[in-house]
Order: sequence, then structure tokens, then C-alpha cells
Amino acid sequence: MRAKRLTGSLACLVVLTLTAAGCGLSGGGSGDGDASAGGCKVDQGNVGTGKLSGEVKGKITFQTTNLKKDFGTFFNSVIADFEKAHPGTEVKWIDDPGDNTFTTRTVADAQACTLADVINVNAPTATALTKAGYLLDVGTKDPDAAKPFVPAFWKTAVFKDAGGKAIHTALPWYTGGVILTYNKDLLKKAGVDPAKPPTTLFGLFADFEKVAKAGDGKFYATMANPIWRIPSDFDQMGIKTLSDDGKSAVFADDPRTTQWVAWMAKLYKAGAMPKDSLSSSNDPSTLYSQGKVAYGSTNPSFVRFVKQNSPSIYDRTAVGQQPYDALGRASAGAPQYISVAATSKNAPTALSFAEFLTNAENQTAWCKDPAVVIFPTTTESLNDPFFQKVTGTDPFSQARKLVADQLKTASTNQTSLSPAVQNAMVAQVQLAMQGKKSPAQAVKDAQEKANELLKQAG
Amino acid sequence: MTVQITKPVPVPGTEASVPGPAPSRLRALLPGPSAGANGAAMYRRWWLPWLWTAPAIVCAVVFGVFPFLNTVLLSFTNAKPLGGAASFVGLDNYTRMLDDSDFWLATRNSILYAVIVVPLMVLLPLMLAVLVEKNLPGIGFFRSAFYTPVLASSVVVGLSWQWLLADDGLVNTWLEKAHLIRSAIPFLSDSWLILLSAMGLTLWKGLGWYMVFYLAALGNVPKELHEAAQMDGAGAVRRFWHITIPGVRQAMMLVGTLTGIGSLRVFTEIYMLGSSTGGPGGADRTLPFYIRDVGLDPITGNAGYGSAVSVALFLLTLGLTLLAQRLTKEDES
Repeated sequence: MRAKRLTGSLACLVVLTLTAAGCGLSGGGSGDGDASAGGCKVDQGNVGTGKLSGEVKGKITFQTTNLKKDFGTFFNSVIADFEKAHPGTEVKWIDDPGDNTFTTRTVADAQACTLADVINVNAPTATALTKAGYLLDVGTKDPDAAKPFVPAFWKTAVFKDAGGKAIHTALPWYTGGVILTYNKDLLKKAGVDPAKPPTTLFGLFADFEKVAKAGDGKFYATMANPIWRIPSDFDQMGIKTLSDDGKSAVFADDPRTTQWVAWMAKLYKAGAMPKDSLSSSNDPSTLYSQGKVAYGSTNPSFVRFVKQNSPSIYDRTAVGQQPYDALGRASAGAPQYISVAATSKNAPTALSFAEFLTNAENQTAWCKDPAVVIFPTTTESLNDPFFQKVTGTDPFSQARKLVADQLKTASTNQTSLSPAVQNAMVAQVQLAMQGKKSPAQAVKDAQEKANELLKQAG
Repeated sequence: MTVQITKPVPVPGTEASVPGPAPSRLRALLPGPSAGANGAAMYRRWWLPWLWTAPAIVCAVVFGVFPFLNTVLLSFTNAKPLGGAASFVGLDNYTRMLDDSDFWLATRNSILYAVIVVPLMVLLPLMLAVLVEKNLPGIGFFRSAFYTPVLASSVVVGLSWQWLLADDGLVNTWLEKAHLIRSAIPFLSDSWLILLSAMGLTLWKGLGWYMVFYLAALGNVPKELHEAAQMDGAGAVRRFWHITIPGVRQAMMLVGTLTGIGSLRVFTEIYMLGSSTGGPGGADRTLPFYIRDVGLDPITGNAGYGSAVSVALFLLTLGLTLLAQRLTKEDES
């Protein structure tokens, strides 16, 4: 009797295992199409070469990231305009909370073939979804898609597919801009001229060192966690982080990487950064608003935060250009993107809506919303007097003007690292900053760790 | 004298007098031959219990057994987090694990977490429960206060602890003002102190929860035993060891098991105090943290390897639980 029960149990286990194998490893999918994207069956027109054709009609879903609460009126108006311009269409708007599990959840949606038709994504999410084939190649499906955008922003919207080929799977939407913000009083105490921002990153680090000496533990230059500087500093300096095909890390080959780590270690030891901020997730906002940090966050939105939350510090705040360094001009940074799911059952409508949402008219209107401090990515929008003819002399107005000026001619050298690779690099730099490794060893180990991760990614 | 035997008359209100008993109605709805005279045969049908439990079994299989088996299967593949083709790699993931120093570091941290947190989490809430058990005026306030951390979200608790443990935070400032230290204790930048601080956070957040467990268990300890022991001259400490602890032994076993499993699954505390790297150099990463890093990253993750580490975590949890049970049984015998 016992043997019979055991046989029965084992048989059940085998059946369950085979079921699990079937469901878990085969990808699955649905739809009546005759091609596949990721693990999902899709219409032939959504993939491969050739312009996307079809009637703009029917229902689509549009997913944003935490925008419904504050910008419901604006987006409902955009949706209404689109539906009016294209009778027979219906856009269902859903809003994701945008917390730190966003990428994981979006990836899960993609695997389940339930990705929203039009989706707001950041660079890491776009990288992951493009590699797995879940996003529409908008550059191919609409050869005119690039026209409205500033070339540097269109260039940032390139991601690699599974074969390593660079394709445009996103439309640039809006950006925050990058500037230098600082407390004039603290800089003066350190003997740094606030009117002459440094032109190189190591020049900025030299200023940090002066602040450390003057501060003597009472105030600091910036925060220590290198996660705030990797990989943007490398990009700004022109240090190549990944190989052309993105399959291996090459930053250790450039001697400036070790110099950069040596600077970080020196600054940490000298007290330019609060010791407890080495692995903290806090950005400088709070300490800057308390007058304890000389350099604040690098986006104009931060200036408004200080204006609203700490008027006395705002009076001492000035803004300047981030060091151009090897890039030679300002960086376009990593904007927010709008992508179309390759799994969309109504791709022509989805692409049409994505382009409508990111067109110059709607971008200008969105970026003029007084509730935000963001900048458009289309040439026409950036030429709008609202961005180009800023007259105020206060730091906030100056920040807006600086960013609007630089974005039209911005360059791009943006590296999109996976969170795991970035963490592996940051962890090694942290050890060097604590003096537990030499800068050279930390850089070497960081490259090894990054390569292990990239190798397993295939 | 003759005894007259009469047919019993049903008493109003007893089962026999209730019209249309429920089992009869149920029987009419069920397929199959009619039941015997007393209806009990119907309940002996072998498949009936399975029918009632089928929804629960389906849920358990879909949400418990299937993911588990899927994880075990994935651990023998090189599957990607985003799906797609995966090939069988045999024991490669497991052999890689044995040579992976980061895996062993995470395992050490997880075991250390369990070894330190479990005994404290078994004893401290019990002592707390004994303190707040008595019905004194205003004791409700203390019970609520001790329970408050349980209600707070982990993120809020983490941020509060960051503020408390910062170099210029409340703890360091107080210690400096009391002239107990000369320079700030690096609670948030030293890898050992981050780990210990995270354990403190876990304990603080869990104390109130397990205190309630013990309060319920203490209610079942006969008061007479305490009174008798007290009359025999036993002090509070002796009564605690010889009456209270044996009386709540089952609750202690439950708390120990739950805390052990929870300790091996710690993630948020390390994330809040050690950031996304898991402390400087990733030195404070626990096994769940490591699984996230190697298995779940959407771009460079390897779901196969992550699953292998998950299986190792499962075996570790199972092993520690069985060990605890065995030790408890030996103790009892």
C-alpha cells in the first residue's frame, strides 16, 4: 500500500515537473499573428524590415510612470485630442507607481505578453526590453520618426537588440537637464570663485578638496556614494565604459579611470564627503538645504526644491555649467522615453499615439506646465521663447536658461549600464575609497566583476 | 410489578424533531446511490474530502508547488530573466556556486543573521510580554507602543534608523555628549556595523509582533502554578524559568521557526542601511540580495544561476528548521 502511494506521489511530481517545464521554459505567448517578438506571437508587420502600415483605429493602452496624480488634466486632454483627430480610436491610460520594482514588473508584463501598447520607459528598461525583442523598432517602422528631435536626443534613443545591432526602439520624451549648483558662501570660505566654474571634472574635484580643507568636518563638498557619478563622470570625460557591442567592460583600459578612483579615495579621506554617505542612497538635497554641503544635485528641478524648501540657502545658491571635459559640450543625459510594444495588437495606432504624444506641440505644452521643471527633446519645442527668452536673474531662471541653451547643441556619450553592472563597479570604488584596495586594484576588480556579469548575459 | 416499555416520544427541539434535516437535502443534490438509513455512508465516499479541498489544492499547486518546481528546473538551465531560449546546463550553476566567493559571503551573512537574531527574537519578546502581561493602569499604552514598529512600513523604519545611526545622528550625538565616544561610530559605513545595525532593525521591528504571540501563550499558563510556586518561596526568576518558559515552549518553537525563516530572507533592512550595493563593497549582501543581483537583473541577470542560489537558500532554510526541530525534540525527551 505504501509502495503504491509512493509511486502515485512520484507520478504526480513528474507530471507537475513536466508541466512546470512546459510553462516555465517555453516562453508562451498568445495572439493570432504569424511572427514572434520576445516570446509572444505578433503580427508580421510589427517586426522585421518595412514601414508599419495599417489603419489608426481601435483601442490601445498607454502606461505612464507616476504621472496621473499631478498631471491628469494634461494627459486626459492629450488623449482626447488624439481620439478626436483619429475617430474610432480609444486610449486607455494606466499609471504605474514607478517604484524601484518598475523594471522587474515591466519585464514580467513583457514576458506575459501583456505589455501596454505605448509605454513610458527609462534607459535600463528600454535596454532590457529591446534586447529581448519586446519593443517596436520605431526607426524602421517609421523612417521619419527622427525628424522632430534634437539629433543628440535621437541618438540617446538607440538600444541594442539580441544580435548587438543598434536600433531605435524609443522616442525621446523629456529630460531634466544637467547643471552645477552650489552654495556661494561655502565656496567663498573655501577660496573657490563661484563665478568661474571649473571646465574639467578633475578641476571640480580640486575645488572639492579646497572645500574639504575649509569645511573641516563642519561642511562638505558633496556626497560620497559613487553611484551618483558612475557612469556619468566617465561619459563626460570620454572614458569608454563598454565595448562597441556592449558585451564587455573596457573602462579599466583607460588610465584616467584609475586617476578618477584615486581622486574619489583622496577626497573621501580628506573629508570632502560625509563618511556615512559612502553607501547611502541619499542624494545631496537634504544636506544642501541645511547648508552642510557645498554642491547640490545637478538638475534644475533641484534648484526649485531649494527655493521652496530652504529660502535662506536659495539666496546663497548659484548655478553654473557642468564641466564640459572631453565631451566638449553639454551632455544630453538620459531622457525619459516613450516606446511602443512590439507585442501590440494595434501597433499602427500605438505608434501614431506615441508620435502624437512626443510631437513638438505636446512636448512644449507638457514642459511649460508650472508643476514641472523639465525640458523638451524636439528642436521646435526648444526654440520656443518660453525656454530661450528667460529674463529672470534668480538661480532658478538661470538654471532654466542654461539648460535650454545647452540642449540644442548637446552631445551624447551616454552609457546605459545594467543596475547589476553599475553596482559591481560602485562596490569596488567604495572599497578603494575606504582604503581597503588600491585604486588600480579596485578598477581591475571592477572590470572583472562587470565582465562576469556581461558574460553571463550573453 | 410490571414495567411498561413505551415507544420514546421525540422531545421538541431535539434533532429528530427538526423537519428536513440538512444531510437529507444535501444528499438529494449529490450524485450516486442513496445513502444508508443513517446517512453516514455518504460521508465515507473517498472522493468527497478531495472535492471540498480541491480549490485549496489547486491554489497550493499553482502558487506554491509550481513556482518551486519551476525554480528547481530553472537552476539546471541558463535561462534569462526575460525568457527566451534556455538550454540545459546540468550542474554547471551548482559547481559555479561552490567557487563563487560572493555567494559564500552572502551565505555567511545570512547564517550570521539567523544565528544572532533568532535567539534574541525568541527571548526578548517573551520578556517584553511578561512585563506587559499584568493588568496595571496604563499598561495598554506600553503594549501599543511596543507594537507600533510592526505597523510602520519597512521603508519608513529604515529611514528612521538611517537618521538615528548617521555620524551626526541621535545615537552618536548622545554618546558624544555623554563623553562615551570621541568620534562618531561608523554605523552606516563599516560593513560589520551595518550588518549588526540591520539585525537591530529586524529585532526592533519584530519585537511587538512576537510579543503578541507570547501574550496569547502566557494566557494559557495556569495561574495556580505561579501561586503555588510563590507560596513555596520561588522568586520571579525561578518562576520564569520553571513555569513560564515550559508553559510557552510551543510558542517559542513557533517563533524560533518563523524568525529563522525570516532571518534567512532578509533584504529590506540591508537595502535601507547599505544601499543598492549592500554596504560598501557589497560586503553586507545576504542571499536574497545576491539572488537579486545575479538572477533578476533584466539586462545581465542569469535566472538559471539565480534559481540555483534560491535552491541553496531553500535547502539552508530547510536544514536549519529541521535542526531546530530535532534539538527541541531532544530537549523535550
